[in-house]
Amino acid sequence: MNQMLKKWLVMGLVLLFSLGGCSASDVSNGGTESGKIRVTTTIGMINDIVKNVGGEHVETIGLMKSGVDPHLYKASQGDIKKLDTADMIFYNGLHLEGKMVDIFEKMAKKKPTIAVTKNIPKSKLHAPLDGSQDVDPHVWFNVKHWISATETVAEELSAFDKQHASDYKQNAERYIEKLRQLDDYVTKQIATIPKQTRVLVTAHDAFGYFGEEYGIKVMGLQGISTASEYGSKDVSELRDYLVKNKIKAVFVESSVPKKAIEAVIEGAKEKGHAIKIGGELFSDAMGAEGTEEGTYIGMVKHNVDTIVSALK
Amino acid sequence: MNHVWIILIGALVGSSCSMLGCFLVLRKMSMIGDAISHSVLPGIVIAFLISGSRDSLVMMFGAAAIGLVTVFLIQMFQNSGVQSDASIGVVFTALFAVGVVLISLYTRQVDLDLDCVLYGEIAYAPWDTLHVGGHSIGPKAVWGVGASFLLNVLVISLFFKQFKISTFDPALAAALGIPVVFFHYLLMGLVSISTVASFESVGAILVVGMIIVPAATAYLLTDKLSTMIVISVLLSIISSVLGYYIAFLLDASIGGTMVVVAGVLFLIALFFSPKGVRHHVKFSHGA
Repeated sequence: MNQMLKKWLVMGLVLLFSLGGCSASDVSNGGTESGKIRVTTTIGMINDIVKNVGGEHVETIGLMKSGVDPHLYKASQGDIKKLDTADMIFYNGLHLEGKMVDIFEKMAKKKPTIAVTKNIPKSKLHAPLDGSQDVDPHVWFNVKHWISATETVAEELSAFDKQHASDYKQNAERYIEKLRQLDDYVTKQIATIPKQTRVLVTAHDAFGYFGEEYGIKVMGLQGISTASEYGSKDVSELRDYLVKNKIKAVFVESSVPKKAIEAVIEGAKEKGHAIKIGGELFSDAMGAEGTEEGTYIGMVKHNVDTIVSALK
Repeated sequence: MNHVWIILIGALVGSSCSMLGCFLVLRKMSMIGDAISHSVLPGIVIAFLISGSRDSLVMMFGAAAIGLVTVFLIQMFQNSGVQSDASIGVVFTALFAVGVVLISLYTRQVDLDLDCVLYGEIAYAPWDTLHVGGHSIGPKAVWGVGASFLLNVLVISLFFKQFKISTFDPALAAALGIPVVFFHYLLMGLVSISTVASFESVGAILVVGMIIVPAATAYLLTDKLSTMIVISVLLSIISSVLGYYIAFLLDASIGGTMVVVAGVLFLIALFFSPKGVRHHVKFSHGA
């Protein structure tokens, strides 16, 4: 038995030393060889801002890839390096990244770690219905809020890299101009839906700010959390509402399972009202990289076009 | 430095959990870690309803309270004759369900799942540092998990004999005048504290895995309780080191990979240990 123990001990020690060697060679250096600022971001929408504002002076790395629900994001070993070697970190905040937000707040003492939502006035943020202190973190669907986030990114980049401050300002102005056009586009498009059927039904309450800003009623099955369970009463209430108001379509989302929504459609069918699935909306994550929907502007346009064509 | 911190945290969680795991495996209660990982849900909901905050300290307090309730109930049911697996199953499913009901009643608009507010992530643990007088004294997890590790070592080594006899032969223990029920509750209390402290730093899977797997592996390799504990602690340390290295090569989840390695070590022990497949020998009291 003792021999066995010895064998394990030796094996453990060998492993320990071999790993020691690996981690020693893996010491990260903060600066970049290319002279670019390394920026690490959480969700794709923020990465998009930094790319647009930083232009040629920054190198961005996103932690959460397309189709990933930030609430349920699982970290991998590589994230350590991404956060460690970053010169700056941008995240959403408002508890979107869950417990990671605590870590980001701690990291802010060591390097610029910024919540892009920090300059959105508190009065513009929704408190959830139960009256607690928390706020809905899905601010990006009100394009005006995302303009504020862009301004925050530009300010922080300029403060960190004063040498290129004028470039950041110019890039930000150009991007904000595009966002203003997008904002107009959304307002006009949503207004073309007849008032009575201007109802957006989805499985995930990510569209609160969207509904408020652009005048469309938002109804959902679940609470904000994608992990919370939905009750059967919600399913039947929603079904009755849809049948009564003759709403034509409901929507599924890229990062939320379709099951709950399908239960509603099935229920309405039994009551003699046909509802179709209006299409897939992007909520917590953007489309695949390199596609139109893989950018913030493309994603919002896709959502609006999908909603308008299904409800009109 | 981050690498060293993560391996140290992994090894501390592993040692702390596998040490207790040996007793739990022998008492056929090894699923208790998984049970606590679910049953703490109502704890965080109630803590949130009372405080209105999702601060991690508040959440941990709620989780710790319900963690203790969980192990107390499991032990109580077991004392009154319910089989150990059934009492674990009944308590954790019922408590988890209470949490689900509370969420659906009161906190639907708040992001209040365990992944979001309680379970930590070992990858980020090095940055969650503790400060004393403006100076960083290392990751909070090292202190928290380290403290629970020392507590376990202290209590188990002080009462090793009592724990051992109560585990193997409660009747004999009672005959010898050892307060068996007290030691069962004491062990359960340690389990609850260690798991909840670890959940907050490193997440659920690493804790649940480290309670069961190294202890079960060590059980295949020895007949002696003290040796079993030493082997299981060593196995958990090896799993942490090797798991971290593999997670580094694959860019994978660190906690997940550590438990996978522990699982592979179990399989190796099962197939290649000379007594692995024919392990019929009962533990002896004279160990």
